[in-house]
Amino acid sequence: MSDELHSAAIPSSGGVARWLPWALLVALALLPVVGAQLGLDYYVGFVRRMLIVMIAATSLNFILGYGGMAALGHAGFIGVGAYTVVALVDAGVSSAWTAWGAAVLVSGAFAALIGAVSLRTRGVYFLMITLAFAQMLYYLAVSLSAYGGDDGYGLYSPLELGAGRTTGDAALFFWVVLAIAALVFSFASRAAVSRFGHALTGIRDNETRMEALGYPVYRLKLAAFTGAGALAGLAGALLASHNNFVSPSTMHWTESATLLVMVVLGGLGRRWGAVLGVAVWLVLSEVLKLYTEYWHWPLGLMLIAVVFAAPRGLAGLFDDRSSA
Amino acid sequence: MSLFVAQDLVKRFGGLVATDRVSLSVEPGEVHALIGPNGAGKSTLVNLISGLLPADGGSIVLDGVELTAMSAHDRVRHGLSRCFQITSVFRGDSVRDNLLLAVQAHSGSSFRCFRRRSTEAGLRERALELAHKVGLEDMLDRVAGTLPHGVQRKLDVALALAARPKLLLLDEPMAGMGPEDSQQMVELIARLRAEAAILLIEHDMDAVFQLADRISVLDYGKVLASGDTAYIREHPEVQAVYLGTEELR
Ligand SMILES: Nc1ncnc2c1ncn2[C@@H]1O[C@H](COP(=O)(O)OP(=O)(O)OP(=O)(O)O)[C@@H](O)[C@H]1O
Ligand SMILES: [Mg+2]
Repeated sequence: MSDELHSAAIPSSGGVARWLPWALLVALALLPVVGAQLGLDYYVGFVRRMLIVMIAATSLNFILGYGGMAALGHAGFIGVGAYTVVALVDAGVSSAWTAWGAAVLVSGAFAALIGAVSLRTRGVYFLMITLAFAQMLYYLAVSLSAYGGDDGYGLYSPLELGAGRTTGDAALFFWVVLAIAALVFSFASRAAVSRFGHALTGIRDNETRMEALGYPVYRLKLAAFTGAGALAGLAGALLASHNNFVSPSTMHWTESATLLVMVVLGGLGRRWGAVLGVAVWLVLSEVLKLYTEYWHWPLGLMLIAVVFAAPRGLAGLFDDRSSA
Repeated sequence: MSLFVAQDLVKRFGGLVATDRVSLSVEPGEVHALIGPNGAGKSTLVNLISGLLPADGGSIVLDGVELTAMSAHDRVRHGLSRCFQITSVFRGDSVRDNLLLAVQAHSGSSFRCFRRRSTEAGLRERALELAHKVGLEDMLDRVAGTLPHGVQRKLDVALALAARPKLLLLDEPMAGMGPEDSQQMVELIARLRAEAAILLIEHDMDAVFQLADRISVLDYGKVLASGDTAYIREHPEVQAVYLGTEELR
C-alpha cells in the first residue's frame, strides 16, 4: 500500500479529504454551544462518550488493523485506566490531569507486562491469552471491595481541570475530550505512515520475512501493544470522569468484543475505520433502542451484511483503490 | 580464515534427524553450493543458520562473531541475510514499498512514529539503488503479488540485499523458473558474488556448476561429500545418491 493511499482520508478526491476532518472538528467543537441553546444536552453527552470510545477503538485499530494482533482483552486496559482514576480519587487526588496521566502510565505498564507474555503466542492463542488476562483484571476489580467490588465506585466530586473549572462543566469537559480525541486520531494517522507503522503492517503481512529482514519483530509488537494499552487506559480514565462512576463491567470481555466489532465494522487498518465504526455502531444502537428492546438483533444483522457487502469495512467503501 | 563457519549443527523433528552434525564453511568471496535430493535437509540447514529455527546443537560463526545464541534479526544485523525457497515478499505492496521496508530495517530506528516515511529521501534513494541492482527499476509501482514468478524471485533477492550482507543464503533461487529467468538469475548471482559470499542451495545442476567454487552434498541430513566441482562430479557416492539421474557435462 502506498503512502498516498494511507494519507488519503475517506473520500477519494484529495480536496475533500483535506478539509473534511477540519470541518468535522469545527462542527464538533460547536456542538456544546448549539446543544445548550437547543436543549440537547443529552446528545452532547452522547457524543462525548462516543469520542471517548473512539480513542479506545483507534488504539485497538492500531494493533489489530495495522499490527495484525487480534487482541480480545482491550477493555481490560480501559478498566485499568478507569480504576487508576478511582484509586487516586479515593486517595484524595483531585486534579484531572494527574489522574488521567497516571491512568495512561499504569495501563501502559499493565499492557507492557501482559504484552510481554501474550506476544510470545500468535493467532487464536494470542486471542485467548489476552482474553484470559482481561478476565483476570475483571475478577480483580470485582474483588476490590475497597472500590465497591461488583457494585462499582461513584466519583462524587468532579475532577479539577485547572483555573477553577472542573469536569462538571459539561461543555468544557466536552472540548477537552474532543481535543484529546483529535490528538490521538492525528497521532495514530501519522504513526500509521511512519517507519513504525510500515514496520507493523509488514509484520502483519509477513512476520517471518520481517524477522529475516532484520526487524526486531517482538519488540516492535510489544511497543505497539504497550502504546495501545496506554491509550485505552486514557479512554478508560475519561470514561470514568464522563460517567462519574466505574464498575467491573467496564472491562467485561463483551466490552472487548464490542470494541473489536466496531473496529471491524469501520474498517481494519484504515485511518477512519475505528472512528467510523464507533460512530455507526453507537448511533445505530442509540436509535434502535428507541424502537425496540431487541436492538441487538438488527445490529447483528447489519454487521453480517457489512461483512459480506463490505469486507474491508465501511471505510473501505470510500476507497476507489482496490489495494489495501 | 573462513568468513563463515558452521560446526556440528543438529536439528531433530521428533524422531527425524533433519540436520545431523553438519559442519560447513564459506570463504570470503566464495560461492559455496549445497546440493542434495528432496528432503535432504537443505532448507532446514538454512533455517538453522539464519536463526528462524532453533538448533538442537552446534555453533555458527560469521566474520569472527559468534551468532549461535542470537535471534534471527540480530544475525541479519551482523551480516547474514537470506532468501526463501517459497518466495517471501509483501504481496499486497508495491515493489517500491517492498524495497523501502527492506531498506528501512538497516538505516535508523523503526520505532520512529512521528515522521512520515515518505519524506525520507535517503530511504527512497537506497530503495532505488536496490531496484537497479536486481533490474526492477521499471516495476517500482507494480504490486508485488501480481508480478511474474521470476520477477518476484528477483525481489526476494533484493530484499535480502538491503542488509548489505557479508554472507547471503539463497534457498533454490531458480526454483520453478523457466530457462530464460534461470539464466538471468545466474547472471545476477554471478554479479552479487562481488558483494557477498554466497551459500547457494540449488537443484539446477547447470547453474551450480556455472556458479560454485565449492560444492557440498547433503543427504539424510549429513554432509556426504564436499569439494570443488571436479571432485564432486567424479565422486562415486555422490553420483549414486544424487547425480545419477542428472545429465552431467
Ligand atoms: N517443521 C518441520 N517439522 C517436521 N519435519 C520437518 C520440518 N521441516 C522439515 N521437516 C523434515 O525434515 C526433512 C528435511 O526437510 P527440508 O525442507 O530441509 O529438505 P530440503 O532438502 O530443503 O528439500 P527440498 O529439496 O524439497 O526443498 C524432511 O524430511 C522434512 O519432511
Ligand atoms: Mg528446501
